[in-house]
Amino acid sequence: MFLRQRESLSFDRSVPGKRGMDLPRLDVPEAQDTRPAHLRRSGFDALPELSEVEVIRHFTRLSKWNYGVDDGIYPLGSCTMKHNPRLNEKVAGLPGFTDTHPMAPDALVQGNLEMLFTLQEWLKEITGLPGVTLQPSAGAAGELTGVMLIRAYHVSKGAKRRVILIPDSGHGTNPATAAMAGYEVVELPSRPDGTISFEDVTDPVTGKVRKGLQTLVRELGTEIAGAMITNPNTVGVFEYRFKEISDLLHSVDALVYMDGANMNALVGVARPGDFGVDVMHLNLHKTMSTPHGGGGPGAGPVCCGDKLLPFLPVPVVVRDTVKVGEGEVPKHTYRWDWDRPQSIGKVHTFFGNFGILVRAMTYCLSHGSDGLREATLRAIVNANYIRARLKGAYALHIDSPSLHEVVFSDTLQAKHDVHTLDIAKRLIDHGYHPPTIYFPLIVPGALMIEPTESEDKGELDAFCDTLLAIAKEVEENPDALHQAPTLAPMRRMDETTAARKPVLRWTKAQ
Amino acid sequence: MRYLPSSPAEDRALLDTIGVKHAEDLLVGIPEPLRLKRPLDLPPQGAEQEVAWEMMRMANRNTRFCAQFLGAGAYDHFVPSAIDAMVSRQEWFTAYTPYQPEISQGTLQHIFEYQTLICDLTGLEVTNASLYDGGTACVEAALMAVRVQKKRNTVLVSRGIHPFYRRVLETNFAPHDDLKLVEVALKDGVTDVADLQAKLGPDVAAVLVGYPNFLGAVEDLTALAGPIHAAGALLVSVTQEALAFGWLEAPGKAGADMACGEAMSFGNKPTFGGPFLGFLAVKDAHKREIPGRVVGQTKDLDGKTGYVLTLTAREQHIRRDKATSNICSNQGLVALRANIFLQLAGPEGLKGLAAQNAAKAQYLRSRLLELPDMQPVAEVPFFNEFILRYTGDMAAMQEACLKESLLPGLDLGRFYPEYQGCILWCATELHTRPMIESLVEVLARVPSVVA
Repeated sequence: MFLRQRESLSFDRSVPGKRGMDLPRLDVPEAQDTRPAHLRRSGFDALPELSEVEVIRHFTRLSKWNYGVDDGIYPLGSCTMKHNPRLNEKVAGLPGFTDTHPMAPDALVQGNLEMLFTLQEWLKEITGLPGVTLQPSAGAAGELTGVMLIRAYHVSKGAKRRVILIPDSGHGTNPATAAMAGYEVVELPSRPDGTISFEDVTDPVTGKVRKGLQTLVRELGTEIAGAMITNPNTVGVFEYRFKEISDLLHSVDALVYMDGANMNALVGVARPGDFGVDVMHLNLHKTMSTPHGGGGPGAGPVCCGDKLLPFLPVPVVVRDTVKVGEGEVPKHTYRWDWDRPQSIGKVHTFFGNFGILVRAMTYCLSHGSDGLREATLRAIVNANYIRARLKGAYALHIDSPSLHEVVFSDTLQAKHDVHTLDIAKRLIDHGYHPPTIYFPLIVPGALMIEPTESEDKGELDAFCDTLLAIAKEVEENPDALHQAPTLAPMRRMDETTAARKPVLRWTKAQ
Repeated sequence: MRYLPSSPAEDRALLDTIGVKHAEDLLVGIPEPLRLKRPLDLPPQGAEQEVAWEMMRMANRNTRFCAQFLGAGAYDHFVPSAIDAMVSRQEWFTAYTPYQPEISQGTLQHIFEYQTLICDLTGLEVTNASLYDGGTACVEAALMAVRVQKKRNTVLVSRGIHPFYRRVLETNFAPHDDLKLVEVALKDGVTDVADLQAKLGPDVAAVLVGYPNFLGAVEDLTALAGPIHAAGALLVSVTQEALAFGWLEAPGKAGADMACGEAMSFGNKPTFGGPFLGFLAVKDAHKREIPGRVVGQTKDLDGKTGYVLTLTAREQHIRRDKATSNICSNQGLVALRANIFLQLAGPEGLKGLAAQNAAKAQYLRSRLLELPDMQPVAEVPFFNEFILRYTGDMAAMQEACLKESLLPGLDLGRFYPEYQGCILWCATELHTRPMIESLVEVLARVPSVVA
């Protein structure tokens, strides 16, 4: 719990002569100064002078203004976090892993290579796809890698295609990724149930006709490189015509990218490789409990089908079986394969966020085949429980059966001039992290709730009771919500001024 | 399963409220033919001690060394104990992206301080909350330079930049038919000015130069800035060992318009290459083109100073396919480690630590040069890495080192055919004089190749 209302910037508390780091005695001659005079470090303007005591207290106090998943439910739909097991942290800190150098010869890092190979085998079985790269550093980096694989595929066939199709319900990273990979984005409209529309959709307000999947495939044909489809989609609904979508795209040799942000709803239940996906990424912080650390580091492995195997980033870890006598257990050695002439190249300086991959491997071993499926089912049960308890008090914009998350709209509350933002901020006063808000864009005033499997009935009930109490407050005292939060370390922040007159660092003059 | 909290009775109650008999009934939205009808072909769940044992077995399968004389983009430095202690607080490591500023001030203020420190180290005015790693930071810098420098489509890349960074650049430029990456040659271990001048032209948006470069040499940014600026191009410094900022002038003060690179050296171990810490700092005039998360200072309704994610109009939530980048995370915890490290070090600690690195590397070089098989390649200023030509039997030398639990420097032939037979050596504050001496002794015993 936070006790102090203010913690000044370290720079304002710097006192000359203090230090938080003692250097070892220098046991070799002092360095000769061979630098050209104009390249000698002149000094620093901000680096503070503080003791270790002060630095530790500073970062301890700051930490208390954060909300972590150990504080309680983190219902950020589509993003979310499940429990971060401490074993994962302990294992990732083993010196056997942390001291290893990425440029060391393969023979000296057999344990690392075995770990990476094993994790790949797990991801292959989970996704039903035969190729994996663990290099991408985050989901967005995975998307980019995947789309570059699609591009390499078409280029290898002598075709430069220009279009990527993306549903209007997709994550913002999808169109940004397609643009970074040199593609033009064409939006796929959603049906009222949130899934991709095969037919053209007429906007009820503007009367504008938006072309559906069938029309786009017919008209654009071989201009389409592929489609990026989130499944289950951002309203938690499985694209039930996914196989037909894949078949239609494959009919013009366009490839199917599955945004695997919501793969935690499918692990052990359905495999993308079985319904036509050519390439996808996984968000390991979400699906495999790696910590999010206030924004990262993440890991966004990419899994792909046979067609894309030749193009995977280098290097690829391979296993060689050492011949042993009859009846003996075969021995394996591992090595990096750099000799892949059709590879797109490298997408990370070295081999990806290795320390995060260690945590994901630990998660896999802890859960096993049975635990992985159970986690998926419990996450779906928890989301549907919230849906059942809050339905009525909050509007369900889309009534299709949902899986791991549920998206409400603020239409009932808007009648009292209370909106999603107010509801989110009031949750803070009750000690909860708010859900994802105003996303997906296809739901007006979206409140997107994803509890994960980490919550028990008690926590779910307390959370639902709070949201029901807020719904009641909206009817009885709507004005109060506009003031929320009042119990947090800060009240609502002036984001407009922050963007208009940006102050992005401390300066002495301040 | 220890991580799944509901009891069977609670589960029953949840299902009853939902109105279904079994959890599987909730899969109704997934068409039957698309469902997996068998268990995953994977081992069953493991108890904590079983999993710990298996992971430790793999960790122990790696070879450990008394001393590693290998840098090449991943540096082994001492990590103060305060860092692990702080970062293992759940409020730091189990928090999500600070979307709700009222309950994320810890993360936001930390990032604001981190941004301040990166600007201080680089001598530039604006940075972001961090990027994935050195290689992808180069990509973001190069793409940003092309955005800023409208109508210029070429980026010159010094051959002195980390070969893997260049590989990542090539991968990310490949999809853009309208953009060009052109390599600038090396001469005597640094960027060849004649080649640079020949390649500068009205289409060149930026030039990426190592500082220090992959071969350890300190490039004279100020001298290079002259012709680059005269041609209207931006000078981008690429630093793979950020501790060098305690020894070398800030790139922004030495003539660079943008500075990017890798800052894993601040509080992290090599960890097989990740998670690392990419950074990119730019001038104020370019702040609305910088990719990635940016934190800014503001006030709340009561006028209290606080911090928020800002300049979001650049980002993919709003701009979608017109965004400056698709990046929507940062290396949060790694940036936190760097922030704590730098605050502990302070200006004197950082300069002192850098000076020790320079001293150790100079000592290592002078001792290695006593060996008849070690020859100097070029006399250029360096920080904590340098190259020497080895005229002995490379394989025998490597084997002899490994036998004594020493990891030698990088055999450059694999990356630079023109430096075949050269080794890139690295020494940091972790290398004691006895370690250096035992390396020299081992090398002295390797028989020379008889011509």
